[in-house]
Amino acid sequence: MTNTHQRPLRILLAKLGMDTHTVGITIIAHALREAGMEVIFTGLKQTPEMVAAAAIQEDVDVVGISTLSAGHTRNLPKLARLLREAGAGDKLLLAGGVIPEEDRPLLEEAGVDRTFTMGSDTRDIVAYLNEWWAQQLAADA
Amino acid sequence: MKQKVSTLDPTVKDQTTRDRATKSEIEEEVARWESETRGPFVAANPERREEFLTQALKWPINPLYTPADLDALGFDYKDDVGFPGEYPYTRGTGPNGHRSGFWTMTQVTGFGSGQSWSKRARYMLDQGLSGLILEYDLATTNGYDSDDPMVEGEVGRAGMALDSLEDLEEAFDLPFDQLKYLMSVCNAPQPVNLAMIIAALEKKGVDPKDFVLHIVNGILIEYTCVGRYIYPPEHGLRLATDCIEYIIKNHPNWAPISIISAQLQPAKANPVQEIAFSLAIACAYIDATLERGFDIDTVAPYFHFVVNVDMDFFEGICKLRAFRKCWARLMRDRYGATKPEAMKIRMMTSPTTTALTLQQPLNNIGRLAIMATACSLGGAGENMTTPLHDEAHSLPAEEAIRVGAALQHIVAHETGVAETIDPLAGSYYVESLTKQMENAAFEEMDKIFDMGGALKAIETGYFQRALGREQYERNRDIEEGRRLWVGVNHLKLDEEKREINIFRLNDEMESEQVAKVRNLRARRDQALVDNALEQVREAARNGSNMMESCLAAVKAYATHGEICYAMRDVFGEYGSDSQLGGI
Repeated sequence: MTNTHQRPLRILLAKLGMDTHTVGITIIAHALREAGMEVIFTGLKQTPEMVAAAAIQEDVDVVGISTLSAGHTRNLPKLARLLREAGAGDKLLLAGGVIPEEDRPLLEEAGVDRTFTMGSDTRDIVAYLNEWWAQQLAADA
Repeated sequence: MKQKVSTLDPTVKDQTTRDRATKSEIEEEVARWESETRGPFVAANPERREEFLTQALKWPINPLYTPADLDALGFDYKDDVGFPGEYPYTRGTGPNGHRSGFWTMTQVTGFGSGQSWSKRARYMLDQGLSGLILEYDLATTNGYDSDDPMVEGEVGRAGMALDSLEDLEEAFDLPFDQLKYLMSVCNAPQPVNLAMIIAALEKKGVDPKDFVLHIVNGILIEYTCVGRYIYPPEHGLRLATDCIEYIIKNHPNWAPISIISAQLQPAKANPVQEIAFSLAIACAYIDATLERGFDIDTVAPYFHFVVNVDMDFFEGICKLRAFRKCWARLMRDRYGATKPEAMKIRMMTSPTTTALTLQQPLNNIGRLAIMATACSLGGAGENMTTPLHDEAHSLPAEEAIRVGAALQHIVAHETGVAETIDPLAGSYYVESLTKQMENAAFEEMDKIFDMGGALKAIETGYFQRALGREQYERNRDIEEGRRLWVGVNHLKLDEEKREINIFRLNDEMESEQVAKVRNLRARRDQALVDNALEQVREAARNGSNMMESCLAAVKAYATHGEICYAMRDVFGEYGSDSQLGGI
């Protein structure tokens, strides 16, 4: 990661596929923005290809995917692979929503850095991101 | 210009005509009780919170309600409450509550292929349910076939995969002597879905007069908060109106339109927004249907509402009572309906899934029981659907289905709440809250009508922004502890043991479904299909009712996605980023 300096963290929030449950992602967007982060939303009904392209084009630090329709075991590993193949594997990849416990190892192995399931506190997500961002800035300095 | 709906009711009485002696006597007594009895107690025993508020509306709750509160609101028993089965239907649209028969008990089901849906549906009928709800996967509801690259990983997951008439022929391998009611939830491609069901029922030899098909046909709420839209809103409204017109003319015993207020509630609409947004949306469909030459007394009885109840017991009960009354007033005073059938709301109720927690999922059984009781006390409507306690974890397992079905029987047979009609009527709190909700809902409706109605409120993002604000604020209430939620921010467990079984989908299902639709395309009469799809485009262009061309296309085994694409060719697609509140 280059030229991070003291700029705010940039995060792309996205919904993959036909899953259009938006309450969670709306709350997260408000919370991250209130915490001073730059939040970009892709819109609904995105393919992994569209999200990977947007992540690179918008030069974000973090990609956050909200998933509530059980499509996560396929589309999240695909997104992780596409990001790696495009040389953007250093971006933090987060997933949130309805993700059963036993799917987490599969997602982690595929390259999802962290999952926040339904009921997670937005303050925990903000704290996690702030800590990660501080580490990036420190490593960059 | 139409008069404000909030001032249309000619029965609202002038305060000065009331019996002031009675009123002041009670007020004086309340003041006396405050200073002599309650005041000293509270001074010694401070209240457990600074302010007591209703959960969603955040309206202050008084320590005590008396007849004085009702007087202050201009409450009049005859005008505001009346009698069951009579205007304004606050005490129920039926004249005998649940004493002649319970509400129909239903549950949502739908996943996998047509065959697996049929198997699960049989299981549910065996558990004592008499009606079913058929939900489709997100490929279907967004207008794609299972092999479309847009929907990889979604096939059969959130509901049944429906690619062609073949799939419904398999799904309908059911005892239709037991199954008398089916609700189908497929909004954006509604004419295609309706045509497929009609064709499949024909093939099964089901007499459409002996069966009730209930289509949701709720595209305007999809634009507002759900997101499963395809075409721009004006075309969405036209397709919905086509289905309403077709059903009224051809299957008058069916239900052509539902306003799923129960989708606004999970998007965090408060009860006033739910009533006002739902009714304003209903008005958009009604106005479009009236333009096709029907009169209000014919059209209004076809409208159905599905309303959720959340955990605030009294907000839930009062919302159901106010909903009935607001519809009655709106039909009578805004549209000039004259027949009782037009003024009686058709309502289906349900405990909300959004009250359920991922944490300690067995607690959800308790929540569901309380909410189902509130539904019943609020009048239940013709149908009650119970969600399942494990929904936050994954798609439901069979044990959860059994418990969910039992739950409604427990409320109906064991609690006694259904033995008298509208048992909470006359409660000073319940009547105050009902009346306040009604007044606030009419004010909000006026705001929406002033901006040009529901279609404009959608196109300008008014609904979406309003809901986005509620979503953020209500989440903060929980995170900052203003609202306690067991398992989430209260009585949390450090390490949670898994308490439930999770139903898992077979991953091979998607590839089987993809192969199936490709196989169909290879063996059908392609010339017939091409011609049928051109007829669909032509109908879309020339504004005639889409149903005839959709019926011909599904019977030629044109696929669901192909017909939806034919309409995309004419209508275009709606921007996908339009609906997020405040993002």
